[in-house]
Amino acid sequence: MTALLGFVLTAAVVGFFAGAALSVVRRDLGYATALAASVLWLVAAVGALVAGPVTGPSWSGPLGDAESLSLDGLSAFFALATAIVWVATSAYSLAYDDRPSPLLAFCYALTLGSIALLVASSSLLLFLVGWETMTLASYGMILQAHGRSGRVFSAAFVFLAFGEASTLLVLVAVAGLHAMSGSFLEVPVATAGALASIVFVAALIGFGLKMGVAPFHMSEWLPIAHSSAPSNASAVLSSTLTLAGAYGLFRVISLLPSPPPVWWGALMLGIGAISVLLGALFAAVSEHSKGLPAYSTIENNGLILVALGIALIARADGLAELAVFALFAAFYQALAHAIAKTALFLSAGYLEHGTHTFDLNSTHGRAKDADRAARLGTIAATLSLAAAPPLAGFVSEWMVLEALFQSYRFSAEWVQFVGLLAGAAVALAAGLILVAMVKFLGFSFLWKPSATGPTARARGLAAPVGAVGAVVLAVGVGAPWLLGLITPSVAAFAHTAVAAPVGSLLSIPDGWSILSGSPFGILSPPAVPIGLAAGAAVALGYFALGGGFGARRVEPWMAGSPPGCDGETYTSFGYSTGIRIMMRSVLQTREVRTGTGAGTRAELATPVSYNVDLEVLDVFKVFYDDLVRFGDAVAAALKAGIMTGRLGQYLAYILVVTLVVVIYVAAAA
Amino acid sequence: MRRPGWRVEPAAAPRADRASRALAYAPEDGAFSLVNDYSEGMSVLAPGGPDPAFDTPWAVWRTAAGAARPHALAPAPEVEGYGVFTFPYGPLSMGVPEAGRFDVRTYGERVLNLVPVGGFKSRRVRAAVVGQTVVDAALRVERLAGNFSAAHVAAFLDAVESAEGRAVPTEEWWVRGLAQELQRIYNHVHVIARVAEAASQNVGLAQTHALAEEVLRTQGAVFGHRWLFGALLPGGPARRLDPTDRRALATRLGRLGDEFERLWRLFLESRTFVDRIQGTCPVARDAAVEWGAVGPTLRASGVAWDDRLRIPVAPYTDLFLPLPHESGGDALARVATRAEEVRASFLVLEQMLERWPAAGAGDEPPGSAVAPGRGLGRVEAPSGDLVYDVRVAAGRVVGLDLRSPSQANWPLFAAGMRDAVFTDFHFAFESFGFAFAETDG
Amino acid sequence: MASWIEQSVSRGILTSRYPKAAATDDETPPTGRPPVPESPATSLPAARDRCPVGAITETAVDQGKCIRCARCVGAGLSFSGSVEAATRSRSDLLRISAGPTPVPDGAPPLAGLGRSLHLFLVDVGSCNACNLEVLALANPYYDLQRLGIFFTNSPRHADVLVVVGVPTAEMVEPLRRAYDALPAPKAVVAVGACPISGGVFAGTEGLASALDGLVPVDVYVPGCPPTPTAILDGLLKLNGRDRETREGRR
Repeated sequence: MTALLGFVLTAAVVGFFAGAALSVVRRDLGYATALAASVLWLVAAVGALVAGPVTGPSWSGPLGDAESLSLDGLSAFFALATAIVWVATSAYSLAYDDRPSPLLAFCYALTLGSIALLVASSSLLLFLVGWETMTLASYGMILQAHGRSGRVFSAAFVFLAFGEASTLLVLVAVAGLHAMSGSFLEVPVATAGALASIVFVAALIGFGLKMGVAPFHMSEWLPIAHSSAPSNASAVLSSTLTLAGAYGLFRVISLLPSPPPVWWGALMLGIGAISVLLGALFAAVSEHSKGLPAYSTIENNGLILVALGIALIARADGLAELAVFALFAAFYQALAHAIAKTALFLSAGYLEHGTHTFDLNSTHGRAKDADRAARLGTIAATLSLAAAPPLAGFVSEWMVLEALFQSYRFSAEWVQFVGLLAGAAVALAAGLILVAMVKFLGFSFLWKPSATGPTARARGLAAPVGAVGAVVLAVGVGAPWLLGLITPSVAAFAHTAVAAPVGSLLSIPDGWSILSGSPFGILSPPAVPIGLAAGAAVALGYFALGGGFGARRVEPWMAGSPPGCDGETYTSFGYSTGIRIMMRSVLQTREVRTGTGAGTRAELATPVSYNVDLEVLDVFKVFYDDLVRFGDAVAAALKAGIMTGRLGQYLAYILVVTLVVVIYVAAAA
Repeated sequence: MRRPGWRVEPAAAPRADRASRALAYAPEDGAFSLVNDYSEGMSVLAPGGPDPAFDTPWAVWRTAAGAARPHALAPAPEVEGYGVFTFPYGPLSMGVPEAGRFDVRTYGERVLNLVPVGGFKSRRVRAAVVGQTVVDAALRVERLAGNFSAAHVAAFLDAVESAEGRAVPTEEWWVRGLAQELQRIYNHVHVIARVAEAASQNVGLAQTHALAEEVLRTQGAVFGHRWLFGALLPGGPARRLDPTDRRALATRLGRLGDEFERLWRLFLESRTFVDRIQGTCPVARDAAVEWGAVGPTLRASGVAWDDRLRIPVAPYTDLFLPLPHESGGDALARVATRAEEVRASFLVLEQMLERWPAAGAGDEPPGSAVAPGRGLGRVEAPSGDLVYDVRVAAGRVVGLDLRSPSQANWPLFAAGMRDAVFTDFHFAFESFGFAFAETDG
Repeated sequence: MASWIEQSVSRGILTSRYPKAAATDDETPPTGRPPVPESPATSLPAARDRCPVGAITETAVDQGKCIRCARCVGAGLSFSGSVEAATRSRSDLLRISAGPTPVPDGAPPLAGLGRSLHLFLVDVGSCNACNLEVLALANPYYDLQRLGIFFTNSPRHADVLVVVGVPTAEMVEPLRRAYDALPAPKAVVAVGACPISGGVFAGTEGLASALDGLVPVDVYVPGCPPTPTAILDGLLKLNGRDRETREGRR
């Protein structure tokens, strides 16, 4: 059985690369092969979680280590999450990609293959190979955006630059691990110390760059989403490229010594909380149907860091139960986000296909009459990301918050304080993200159409959206059992046997409820739909007994004015202007007016008109822009001042260096 | 907290001769516009018809009956921008318990532009009264704006009497003054109640609302009608103003005045109330003068100007009338001006009841007709200067026009709301004391 | 804050006992009552030509047209009808006589409306007096919330449209929208002479002649404007909680 799974695993990874090769022959063939490989990848992941670690054929690596493709509990979780995403995106791509060039399909399959490779690799070197391939392949995907412009190139370049910075830091982390363990294999190290902390910080920033957390969120989603990367690519990048970052972080931390210093967790918690808040804030004020989900990705990855940070602090404080619960929260958050975000990006692609725009102000309700699958899938995805019960995002956010609530148990007061601030940030973000999600859903699929323009249906694009939406519901309702399924992952991370945090409550059967700490909170996701169904049954019973459906359709009440008076209704922009004004200190909101102004009686004697734009600013983008300018200036100064090209000056440098070395050696002797 | 004291116009300021209201009036073409001339201390009728630049329904006292309905009541700049849209508020909303609409141009939250839209409740009074007897026409005129009925009827009758050159007994003028001051108190108290409601001052609202009801009941007791309909007309409901009744009324008003003093002091002590209206919807002095604001709106912006002091008619010629004014120009200044005017009106009423003229004390001379059969009537209505232009022939009305205080003040409200936030709307709106009813006609 | 409490307490209870007790004279000035003929056979023909709105015929006074201008007072009519003059049918407005029970057979209360009513005020062209009298019901003297009656901000939340004013051409569509937005069971109360008959504005071009040609009217409250007590009586007649029905039950 295990051998068979090992074969399936190898076939899956090879299949992705084969898909990349076949896509050159025929685009559809590439996607179809990727779809098949994704299914194999799913089988291998579930197999590894149920039947224990899976190892494929091994070979001798370049440094003599025995390398193989394998899935232990930890990597199996990430394989599972990515597999669900890829099945949907691959099926979607078959209907979506109509470009004449096969490049998108090629890069797509290559990205999938490289992520699979790094997740399934048993050695850090192979991991690095996958990591770098992934960066390059996804760079290629971004370049395939419609209407390639200077903006797309610059976005892709920013992505590549941050990707390489990330690779450098990951290299540092890997080197540090090798220095401590003497091996490139994924073996835990025991000795704590400064080196371990360096590895931790390098990994946190390096992988954090890929997860797009603040203050590095510039690196991933803002430029990409705004430059209209193809939607299948966006889904893969936002859902699974960030998962790859999360996997790297989880993997490296699992190799580092335990218990860790308490500041590791506190640092991670702080970065996570800031990401959550900024991500939610920028999502709420985004008018771009892919920019909005992209910012939401920052928020969700922040939540993963928050949960993982709590777990590390709890581990440092010896709070084993809380540590395990927070780990489950982190894993579940990663799963819930990946799935729901996939549906949202695919939905944005559907929207673009139907309306030819990414501007939520001009999609206003135009997709209300869209394919039912796309509508329902989007409703499930947005509600899940807004943490509405009983969907996946609700369960995971509840778990993260329950973990945060228990930060009062921490021993150090300053850590408790960090926990308190993080809790406040997460709570505020939960409100902001609700605004964002209501905006996305309302101004695309839900509200009465007011904008005019062509809308087109596309069943091939709608079906994957709906299917993923169904998975979102299942992952929410089935949470107590899925927590059981991913128990090996948590165990693999913690290097101890753990039990899923499920139990019983009142008359709800044992195992149907999630418990956060033995005397703390309790939640039963399956009870929610059962309760809803019971309510529906009562209502249906009433109707069956002759109540009848008293449905009545009336036009919306607009204080007596005709609905859509003058063809104008609330815009998506107006929906979140309150936040722009309230949070102006963070968003640097400013109003730009052009044209004649004031409106005195004399001026208004003739028609007066002016233009008003309310602009917000990402302060981090400004910071990076300034940084780039500063770097350019330094380089220019160096070039002008030191590297003058005069031979005499260079000889003088050599002389100085030689003297310094001679003095140093003499002193040492 | 600013506490405006009583300010009395210096005695040196000459009261305009009553006939000089027709200053520089050119009746030949029948068209004229109303221009404020503060050197004369009042607005005058400028010759030559409407200024073509302002040939819009809001700026011109139109001789022609009715613009296209519904129509904008104030000019506004055109505003465009990303995400900018128009948000129609009204004509049916409980926030504004009258049929009128506001087109709010916004990118959300902030008002970029606000256009009051009127004409929804035009009962075509100006057209309907043509051909009617003066008394029948007056029934419609007092129902033009029920809460300002006394001012409208007084201005209408003044215009008719000027046109006909008919003298009216002095006591009748005192009755008109009494009715107008009572109604001024009611309206100002009502405005304070509405602002208190907007500021969620629920105890203050209930208390002020009760006081307003007591004023209505007082009007009912004196004039037989809570809204003074018919009270100033021949054959109207009986009015009781013999000495016993006057003493009873004085006692009653004294109690109401004390009650108002207590309430207004409590309002000024309520920080939430004062904070909410301070700085809301400001009207600068220059803008008030330029647009020709009237009434408490004008006085709250620093211009001490009141028809009652400018036009020498009974009973005000014989009374001490304080002229409260403020300089802030914001909603607080307007509310405070109104509050001080309530105190002033109680003071005036007290004096009136003490010095009530004996029956048969003589007649007041009519104003001079601006043209044969055509007269002007002007009074200081609760919300400001109200002007009637009436043409009569053989005891029947042949033409009627009016410039209501609401009409004059709409542009100031629209300008003050620019760049405010939605939530300022009610405070701003209520502080002006508008009535769509008198604007729509 | 404390001083506001002191102020409230010092004023004591202002609220009327209506409808448990009869309306007081203070609540009802002379024009708050419908004019009724002292002896119909002689008074009506004598007063007929005095009426500016044609409310008086040889045989009856149409209270739906009366604007309480008092011209007929002194010609055999007097403001001595009951303040509870609201009726469930238009024709009953011609049958109001002096005495405590102005209309002998009130129609039954409207089915489906419970004890609590939610009102939405619709101004279709009023002079503001009726609007303000309706809103005065919220003041401490009438305090209509004690009777389970509330104002709402949207017809979607209301049971009853309280219509004031003579319907102008411009307000016909908004009125229809408000009526459509009202959930069933719904009711319409016409407050004042204007919506009932056009009142003093009847016959003007551009104005509808009466509200009941536009939407079905369930209660007619005559007056110009009706006093708050009269409006309250009209509202209570919707669900059979008015004084007359109470007395009948007793």
